[in-house]
Amino acid sequence: MDKRLTVAGRELASLRSEKTIVLAILIQLFVAAFSSFLAVGLVSLYDPGSVSNQFVVEFGVTGEDGEDLVPVLEAKDGWRAVEYDTEEAAMRDFRRGEIHAVLAVERGDDGRAHVWATAPDGNVRTTLVVTQIRDALEAFERHERDRLSSRLERTPVELPPDSSSSPYFGFTYTVLIPLLTFLPVFLSGSVAVDAIAEEYDRGTLELLRVTPLTPTDIVDGKMLAMGILAPVQAGAWLALLSFNGTQIANPVEILLLVTGLSLAVVTMGAATALAFRERKQSQFLFSMGVLVVFSATYLLPESPPNAVAKLAIGSPPTLTHAMVGVYLVISAVGFLALRRVVGRRGLGT
Amino acid sequence: MKARKTLRIARWEVSKNAGQFDRRTVAVAAAVLLLVAVLTPLVASQGITLDDGIYRVGVAEDSPYYDPVAEDPTFVAVSPETENADVWIRSDGIRATDTQKGRAALAELRTTVESYNDRLMAAEADGSAAFPVEVSVEYVEQDRVGGGGASAPATRTPDEGEVGLGGSDGSGGDGSPGDESGTDASGDNSGTGDGDGQVGAPSVGSQGSLFGGGQQGTPSDVAPPFPFESLVLAFAFVLPMNFVIQAYASTILDERINDRGELLLVSPVSRGDIIAGKTLPYLLGMVAIASVTAVGIAVLTPAADGAVSIATTAGTSVLAVIPIALLFLASSFVGAMFARSFKELTFVTVTLSVFLTSYAFVPAIFTNVHPVASISPLTLVVRALRGTAVTLGEYAFSTGPLYLSSAVLFALGAGVYREEDMFTQRSVPLKFLDALNGQISGARSVAKLSALSIPFVFVGELLAVALLFALPVELSMPILLIAIAFVEEVAKSVHVYAGFAHARFARSLRSVGILGFLSGLGFFLGEKAVAVAQLVGLPDLELGRAAFGTVTGLGVETSPLVLAGLLFAPLALHAVTATTTAYGASRDRRWYAITLVWATLVHAAYNLTVVSHLG
Repeated sequence: MDKRLTVAGRELASLRSEKTIVLAILIQLFVAAFSSFLAVGLVSLYDPGSVSNQFVVEFGVTGEDGEDLVPVLEAKDGWRAVEYDTEEAAMRDFRRGEIHAVLAVERGDDGRAHVWATAPDGNVRTTLVVTQIRDALEAFERHERDRLSSRLERTPVELPPDSSSSPYFGFTYTVLIPLLTFLPVFLSGSVAVDAIAEEYDRGTLELLRVTPLTPTDIVDGKMLAMGILAPVQAGAWLALLSFNGTQIANPVEILLLVTGLSLAVVTMGAATALAFRERKQSQFLFSMGVLVVFSATYLLPESPPNAVAKLAIGSPPTLTHAMVGVYLVISAVGFLALRRVVGRRGLGT
Repeated sequence: MKARKTLRIARWEVSKNAGQFDRRTVAVAAAVLLLVAVLTPLVASQGITLDDGIYRVGVAEDSPYYDPVAEDPTFVAVSPETENADVWIRSDGIRATDTQKGRAALAELRTTVESYNDRLMAAEADGSAAFPVEVSVEYVEQDRVGGGGASAPATRTPDEGEVGLGGSDGSGGDGSPGDESGTDASGDNSGTGDGDGQVGAPSVGSQGSLFGGGQQGTPSDVAPPFPFESLVLAFAFVLPMNFVIQAYASTILDERINDRGELLLVSPVSRGDIIAGKTLPYLLGMVAIASVTAVGIAVLTPAADGAVSIATTAGTSVLAVIPIALLFLASSFVGAMFARSFKELTFVTVTLSVFLTSYAFVPAIFTNVHPVASISPLTLVVRALRGTAVTLGEYAFSTGPLYLSSAVLFALGAGVYREEDMFTQRSVPLKFLDALNGQISGARSVAKLSALSIPFVFVGELLAVALLFALPVELSMPILLIAIAFVEEVAKSVHVYAGFAHARFARSLRSVGILGFLSGLGFFLGEKAVAVAQLVGLPDLELGRAAFGTVTGLGVETSPLVLAGLLFAPLALHAVTATTTAYGASRDRRWYAITLVWATLVHAAYNLTVVSHLG
């Protein structure tokens, strides 16, 4: 066993001496920060209420039946209705930036209300205002449906109460945590390809073979070094996130899942490199292969990112626990199969 | 550089690769590609859902809420009696656990019920009672909010046709009424026509707000102008590049292992020939892939009918993507010239992939929302796919920095494409210093390098803005100012440090003064050139002002005298700080670090003064 540890230790030492692994950490930090930027940025564009509660959208209401809309708008704190007699007056104020949107309401012959909404074009407010227009008109729609309920056969389900929740919450568990736990896994696989392809390419495998190491020892050691990196990084991220106030529900099980996946991906990388030897081909095939395998998991009843999301948020059904076991078994089988092949065929010449 | 020699090396590169691809590799690659082709539609048809089953809702089967909950995969319906749920729906009301998760689940439930109601109503016979509100959205430009420019355009009357469109009534039937009430038919409305919503093919040309295209439907059809589908399609251009640069970087690094590149170096061809020849096949490959993608997308989702428009769309997309391809190649070339081993190369290329992809991708999200989008060529692709014309000026603005950066990077890498650098093992930072030193040929080249660093400085500053975005503004603003100052100070001084480290300049106070002034001058001129481009290309870019405007003096309205002062104050600042760091660079690394910190602080203090006095 310690022979393998020596190989693994040497691999890790070479990573340490090059220090470029810092880049890998940096990428993850960047991805984390950037996706937060995107999420917070987009969320605030989509659902400004979650970020700035003080912002009041001022709607200019005009048109023949504008007065029907006004009470709906006044019912909510974040909306204010400004009534105009003519559309021209409303548009003038809109262009001056005194109101955020113009809603012109007019009823057709069948009683349906037509609303011509005007939103600001091409600035940061656009998304914000358009979302508010949608919400306001949805409220108006509900109000109208209530009024016309006698003409309807079915009754709309009453909406649950509004709750002030950050949409960022869901994002953290469904995107950020899976991303941060899986990114190191793919990197590890890629580096495992390099670690083996390099020995072939530089001709240093000969030197390793004259040592009392068996081919399985060499491969084991290299895979151990790479396979251990991903769970360590994932664990660090989970610790960091919970330190930062994000509760992670099943850290041990997540780490088990990551370890299983890491083993599987590193096995894939090592197998590709052993089969093709040249870095160019192996890296290409490996990255395509990972892409295929990973997207194929979406056809399973539960994909790994979804499993991580459920585990982290704390509502894993029995299926999730079973899937973790399945992933662990599959990767162990793959690893043992690779060892057998290496043990029988050696590392080639 | 000779075309014939370049072509011959390119041919070698291709035939060498073809030789390596034996039958087995080709077979495996084909199998993998086939799998991709088979899997993509399968996975896409299933939809990539990340939030399946993350919330538990306790709801009885006879409750009216049972159906909405059961139909949304985000929720798992459990018995209302259980303790283990996030939201309970009982006869006495709806209750959520008092946690973030409970509140999030409740908010999610609300949207779910909303869309369930819309589906329920779609089955009603009386369409005008089921969907009693019909909306059409119009995008109209507002004048600058809060003064600033002259207020003359305020007298503009509303355009004809925006008001009282009329004519849309009596369209009974179920679901969203799809009558075109004749605004302008640019930007085919995807939200209308097909029943309840946007299923099926990705709708590229929805909600073109740039030219005031309208949209119409029920209130829930109203969507912010977010070009999501177009972005996914545009992403199809960038993803393959990540695979190509893997191979390209391998080729370059291959030359550096076991002195393999020696043979080419001693042959009667120039460095430029070798590099161009080795790069050419990969560039052509990327362009070929991009062309296939472009034609495919343009045919599948035509912005307008006719072969000519498809060709235009595809052509514009490819032209917009070429500079991204060049930058990918250039930076992975430099990465491969610096890397010591395959492992290091992997880290470097992955980093490059992530950074470049986000640089190209993220600003394009703000297409139609914010002018900052135009810094990414992908915005051009998105617009081309929507059938919007792209002007030459816009093309130059989006792609110019990328062409320039690629040229600089190739020059930097070419500088170390020589025996003494290629085959030695040095750490990446030292290689970087070597490469910079290779570009220095006298005091004046210091100014040139400072000026050429501008595109990288801008990228760095944009990344800083993006990274610090999530922090509260009291914290992010000072950090941002310091980060920006630091990036600029490094850009002005690192090549000076490289020059001193390689003993290219005399370590005297006189040369420190000259180098500092020249470096500051070069940076100042580069910055001004960009400022002019900014003025031409992006007249109302507000975001850039906080970051870049302070030093360019742009967008500040004041007397000509102060303006002239503002024009030259940055020059003084850059010269002073660059001289400070040059002094440190002339001593040793420790001194360089100390002076760098000092210069950064001075620079940040200056920026802070300008921001608080003029902002």
